[in-house]
Amino acid sequence: MAQKFTKWIPAAVVPVVIAGVVIAVPMAANATGSLPDKSAQEVLALVASSNVTALSATFEQTSNLGLPQLPTGTGAQGSGSTAQAASALELLTGNHTARVYADSTNGAENMRLQVLDSMAERDVIRSGSDVWLYDSKKQTATHATLPAKSDAATSAPDAGDAASTLTPDQLAAKLLAAVTPTTTVTVGNDLSVAGRSAYDLVLTPQAGDTLIGTVSIAVDGSTGLPLSVTIVPKGSADPAFTTAFTSISFDAPSADLFAFTPPAGTTVTEQALPAEMAKPTGEAGKGTGRSAGKSADRPVVTGTGWSSIVELNVGTDQSALTGSPLFAQLMTPVEGGSVFSTSLVNVLLTTDGRVFAGSVSAEALKAAAAAAPLAAAPAAK
Amino acid sequence: MSPSNSGVASVASGAAAAAARPRAGWSFLASELVLLFRRRRTWVLLATLAAIPVLVAVAVRLSTARAPGSGRGPAFLDQITQNGLFVSVVALTICVPLFLPLAVGVVAGDTIAGEAGAGTLRYLLVAPVGRIRLLLVKFAAAIAFCLAATVVITAAGALIGAALFPVGPVVLLSGDTIGVPDSIVRALLIAGYVTVSLAGLTAIGLFVSTLTDAPVGAMAATVVVSIVAQVLDSLPQLDWLHPYLFTHYWLGFADLLRQPVEFSSFSSNALLQLAYVLIFGSLAIGRFTSKDILS
Amino acid sequence: MTAAAPELAIETRQLTKTFGRQTVVNNLDLAVPRGSVFGFLGPNGSGKTTTIRMLLGLASATSGEVRVLGQELPQQLPGVLPRVGALIEGPGFYPFLSGSANLIRLDSADRFASPATRRKRVADALERVGLTHAAGKKVKAYSLGMKQRLGIANALLTPRELIVLDEPTNGLDPQGTREVRHLVRSLTDQGTTVFVSSHLLAEIEQMCTHAAVMRAGNLVAQGSLDELRQTGQTRIRLVTPDAQLALGVLAGLGLAADVEAPPERGGASADPQLIAPLPEEVAAEQIVEALVANGVRVRGFTVAGSTLEDLFVALTGEGFDVAQ
Repeated sequence: MAQKFTKWIPAAVVPVVIAGVVIAVPMAANATGSLPDKSAQEVLALVASSNVTALSATFEQTSNLGLPQLPTGTGAQGSGSTAQAASALELLTGNHTARVYADSTNGAENMRLQVLDSMAERDVIRSGSDVWLYDSKKQTATHATLPAKSDAATSAPDAGDAASTLTPDQLAAKLLAAVTPTTTVTVGNDLSVAGRSAYDLVLTPQAGDTLIGTVSIAVDGSTGLPLSVTIVPKGSADPAFTTAFTSISFDAPSADLFAFTPPAGTTVTEQALPAEMAKPTGEAGKGTGRSAGKSADRPVVTGTGWSSIVELNVGTDQSALTGSPLFAQLMTPVEGGSVFSTSLVNVLLTTDGRVFAGSVSAEALKAAAAAAPLAAAPAAK
Repeated sequence: MSPSNSGVASVASGAAAAAARPRAGWSFLASELVLLFRRRRTWVLLATLAAIPVLVAVAVRLSTARAPGSGRGPAFLDQITQNGLFVSVVALTICVPLFLPLAVGVVAGDTIAGEAGAGTLRYLLVAPVGRIRLLLVKFAAAIAFCLAATVVITAAGALIGAALFPVGPVVLLSGDTIGVPDSIVRALLIAGYVTVSLAGLTAIGLFVSTLTDAPVGAMAATVVVSIVAQVLDSLPQLDWLHPYLFTHYWLGFADLLRQPVEFSSFSSNALLQLAYVLIFGSLAIGRFTSKDILS
Repeated sequence: MTAAAPELAIETRQLTKTFGRQTVVNNLDLAVPRGSVFGFLGPNGSGKTTTIRMLLGLASATSGEVRVLGQELPQQLPGVLPRVGALIEGPGFYPFLSGSANLIRLDSADRFASPATRRKRVADALERVGLTHAAGKKVKAYSLGMKQRLGIANALLTPRELIVLDEPTNGLDPQGTREVRHLVRSLTDQGTTVFVSSHLLAEIEQMCTHAAVMRAGNLVAQGSLDELRQTGQTRIRLVTPDAQLALGVLAGLGLAADVEAPPERGGASADPQLIAPLPEEVAAEQIVEALVANGVRVRGFTVAGSTLEDLFVALTGEGFDVAQ
């Protein structure tokens, strides 16, 4: 009977409506009001003049670096340098959601970063000169006191595991520092990020030997705050790394958020700064050298811009690192050492205890290792 | 059987009654709830769910008594020893992947197929309860069961936790500490989150239940669907599909244990579940209203 | 109810139901007058229950029209069903609830039924079917007969214009069967139309005013019991050794007789039998007179009015369980 089919009309219409909503809502969100046209230089100037003092935001980081998928929570197991490396790697792979709260109004220097893990959380809390690191899984807290004049943008997040997760604006600041005459900067079509209209600043390295194809930075049209960063490797269409705000508010967060007291039952470690050494897999490949650290471990930067290579001496005793199964899984043995390879960054660990890292090919790293005599490196600690 | 006319009105007044406006029909929903919660099966399900936090708490209590502070096992379990209120959250975490879907599968799969199997469906429809109304009432009662199940786990966990472990301020995932009243509010929020999480599965069970007259088949199919969805959700190759799986946000209630509370997973979950309820609800309506009741 | 109340409580036109290629109900034209006790007769599997399911909106018709209490189905179903009570293919109850709790649940499903009078109506219905003593007992402890009575009680929860009873005496002892008959009679006294299906002819004959006969999905006869009886012919049965002679005499009177071979038992009555329909204008005594006058030895002569049984056997081609 014909009326039998009419009974199925809702069942046919509802999925179509839902599919329509699923497709239309993001499109409507993207159909933002057009921003006044700006040249690349004007957008760069907008970023430079950005003066956001308070924000509460959530951002998502998606990595597709060609690394094996690490089991979630790898970082919680093991100990020592293996655990450190695994933890850092875990943050570099897969997807992560984090929240950031910052308030530097009235001279306060408050910041809190929360990496939202499944059933766990890693926090970095900075309140004035006090920095706390908290890991709910390990139930550990680390406290450090910053020296009086510290660079808030780098010191606090660099201090621990959560450091490997950078907010989009922090990462953009590092990347824009790499803008040199070897980079073409263009402005693409307007974007919508976290419900805000943004300029799409596209950086295209012209250096031939870098692995990075393009870097897109979404710059908030009204505040100049970078809202997202997308890195596409050379010769690929899919982003290898994306970090973007999913929601952002420029209201000052509650002051309670920055007042951290380690909860009962937590192992508290007091740490003097500067303490934590840059990790072999840190942000070295993003083209900036580290300035913090003891002189013995100070990295040496060779090359410039996108193809710069960071050299670091980690000492000859690598058994803790090389002996771990994780190491074997990630490293490819090559002549004179082994290579940790991703689509954006390569790291060469030589048998004599040096680390070379950069957004360049493994061959370039080997050449750099051969060019830099071991004698030039300070003695192992 | 007495052929007497006592107490029977004439047909004319029957016609008048039929011409009267129908009532809202809340008494049928009440009847459905009474029916559900009067069944021994419902109580067995709820008691089984309540036993899980008890087992967890007792096991942790015994193992910590033997080896205090060993800190083995999931980090989450450690929290119990410091605060009994955490037993609820741990028990919910354990129940969400399997035990709750099992219980919900039994109740949701039984909704229509159970009535058909018992031969009561034809009498309800002739009574008459409209077919769409029957689906709505059955769905509402199944959701009530989901709420009862999560509240039972939460309450049983809080009680056994209070009995075996110290109770005090609760440490959140963010490392911040909140007081007992605030923690009770969070526990109830979590129970609400889990209830909402189960709405999609309930709608799927309702739809499956309209496909068959064998309640056991509908129950099994519903549970299998929930397991398949969780397996798909764990395959990284299918990550494009994950946000659309009704199981995707099932463990997202951890976001309610952060400071400040992260509500985005709550709203994503609610929207996703709503979509599942609408889709499978309309499928159930399409199927049930066009179906010949031959049981 | 307006004065324009239609004559028919149930009316179907060309009602057809097919499952796949199988036609279960074929072009059914039912006409159930208001106030009648309508027997719906047919062997098991002849399509009775499927027809009842279509009359109650449980199954949809493949084609054809259904009007119940003057309303078009299935469009007017929500308005019709509260005025109809039904027992469909055996009772169906929640075994873990008591008899009265079962009725309360089914009554609460009816949005037209008043909650205020619910308990009273349930108690009255249970009393009418003689289940007052078992009202608080769980249904799983009921016998089949008690469940059957509870099913009938459900049909009586509110005053109904039409009551459909599908095989109401299934599982009942002779006493229970008698009680059902009385109950049906009391319902018609109030003006309720009762539609009873059965595969038992005796049951229908004893309580119905009208009947319809189904055979393999087709309606083969329909009308009041008197009309149905008249459909059959009155016949004479003559036992005589002089069959050829008798044939001639009967032909002279305008009767076309068939000769039946003598019963195989043989013995004294091993004479052929002649059977012929009796025309209305010929009186039986006239025939005997003519036979005797022509020298036919009449050893037996009967005039048989047709029974419903004859009719149903003729219509359905198979026997009914006449005796229970």
